[in-house]
Amino acid sequence: MSRLAWIPVGIVLLLLPLYLEAPWLKAGQYMMIGAVGAIGLTLLTGQAGQLSLAHGFFLLVGATSYTVLAGPKGDHLGLGLDPLISLVGAVAISALAGMAFAPVAGRVRGIYLGVASLSLVFLGLYLGQAAESLTGGTSTGRDPATFKLFGFPFSNEGDLVVAGVPIRGTERIWYLFLALLALAYWLARGAVRTRIGRAWRAVRDNEAAAAAMGVDVRRTKASVFAVSSAYAGLAGVMTVLWFDILKPDESEYGTYGVNTSIAFLAMVIIGGLGSVGGAVIGALVVFGLPQVLTLYSTDLGWFTGSVTPVLVSSFVYGAAIVLVVLFEPGGLAAVGPRVKHRIRELRS
Amino acid sequence: MTELVLQNVSLRFGGLIALDDISFTVSPGSLHALIGPNGAGKSSCFNVISGLYRPTAGTVRLGVQDLLRLAPHRVARLGIGRAFQNTALSPHSTVLDNVLLGRHALTRGGFLAGGLRLTSRQERLHAARAREICDFLGIGASVDRPLGALPYGVAKLADIARALATEPSLLLLDEPAAGLNTDETAELAAMIGQIRTDLDIAVLLVEHDMELVMGIADQVTVLDFGRVIADGTPADVQTDPDVVKAYLGVTT
Repeated sequence: MSRLAWIPVGIVLLLLPLYLEAPWLKAGQYMMIGAVGAIGLTLLTGQAGQLSLAHGFFLLVGATSYTVLAGPKGDHLGLGLDPLISLVGAVAISALAGMAFAPVAGRVRGIYLGVASLSLVFLGLYLGQAAESLTGGTSTGRDPATFKLFGFPFSNEGDLVVAGVPIRGTERIWYLFLALLALAYWLARGAVRTRIGRAWRAVRDNEAAAAAMGVDVRRTKASVFAVSSAYAGLAGVMTVLWFDILKPDESEYGTYGVNTSIAFLAMVIIGGLGSVGGAVIGALVVFGLPQVLTLYSTDLGWFTGSVTPVLVSSFVYGAAIVLVVLFEPGGLAAVGPRVKHRIRELRS
Repeated sequence: MTELVLQNVSLRFGGLIALDDISFTVSPGSLHALIGPNGAGKSSCFNVISGLYRPTAGTVRLGVQDLLRLAPHRVARLGIGRAFQNTALSPHSTVLDNVLLGRHALTRGGFLAGGLRLTSRQERLHAARAREICDFLGIGASVDRPLGALPYGVAKLADIARALATEPSLLLLDEPAAGLNTDETAELAAMIGQIRTDLDIAVLLVEHDMELVMGIADQVTVLDFGRVIADGTPADVQTDPDVVKAYLGVTT
């Protein structure tokens, strides 16, 4: 997208809280969580070619780290740090956790790496339940500290009114998430266009050639795991702020489970592997659809018994993956340029 | 540049002897060809020099530097550039992007530096140099096109451009003429000669095309079944009975 095209998009996103009801804003925030996580995974899997099913685990690492760092000293372990510092700290801890996985990533490839990374999800499931002093355990969970920026709380506290609309917790979190997503997007776009991005693609396409050009393959893999996990960790922090609770999963299917890892892979594939913009679009589809269907469920009247919005959207994004793989391996990100190319061909 | 010396290099894969006590020297600024029938060990030899294979015995030195103690990416940083047999480029990236990979060791900056746009000046400077190299090789018009959309001949040159982008003092070319037609091969021969004379880079060339080799090489090393069977000027090598035997299968 050209730079000018961003202006209207930005204005609309900034004005939405003045018009949308809270449930719609919540839905939008959830899509932004997905977008941040998906950008991280598209760098790892799309740009650097490293398959990972561990994204859900790194979400949990980020979520727990924030809650512990910012949490009050009490029943659970809490350091009571400033929430902004805690957020940065949680991202850094997630990056380190990703880097700790690098020795494994350097040894196995492709689907084997995918399976090896899956073990982390089960490790997370176990630790989430066992380390109750950190996570609060599966039965009660644990309240995260309210996010504050230089003393300004992202909650309903205090009166703030803009254009006759009260800017309460939901609206404030919208702006916080929007800023985080914009930063995450901008950093990723910059990185893929420069030296590190070229090194990632070289490692993906031919490790021997990458090494012959002076790329330290092992270090490059470690760095991309760190970056991707940092993104997942940030998405994890956003997740606890969104739910306003840290609650470890009871089974491998949950907020930080296998299904989440797969949902992120789905976003990345639907959007187009390696495309930062595509990852955002993929997140709108995969995380947005169940949210929007839920909001419309009573109006639609489709959902009875076991047919839930989540179930229906799983089918939709499952079908979307099949369609993308069959007809447009470049994903939704490649549709735009293709249409433009077609139009140009038809004109001449 | 300092000379590249291979001394008594042997490489074994289990019971298979790929290289058997190989010794030869590539002098600074020379155009040295490594020839031999299929399976003679030419590519294995290249992989040993660039650090991808570790020989079972022997030494490989660039001047005083022992290459066998270095990881492959460190070998590249010493000034050994390499182009691959079937090109090893990223098909979805542009030619420029591919060639810029060669600047990796000459530049700095990771995710944050790139993400925060701190390296944009460096990127611009090195992109300019990469374009210059592409112009030199005559593919300047294609730099912004995705590599996968270009003819094989251009991709081959892009692979050489990437190797040159590392600013090497020694360039390893693995069968650059493979898959090219007669005209393209002639152009390529001229290009390789130019690289040597204009850029003052020594070239070690693996090639099947005898005409190409005999026309431009200063020194020829002939391998057969992993052994050096001849080493000398093209004229010497051409008349060597062992070489004739290896290539034509003549007995007595």
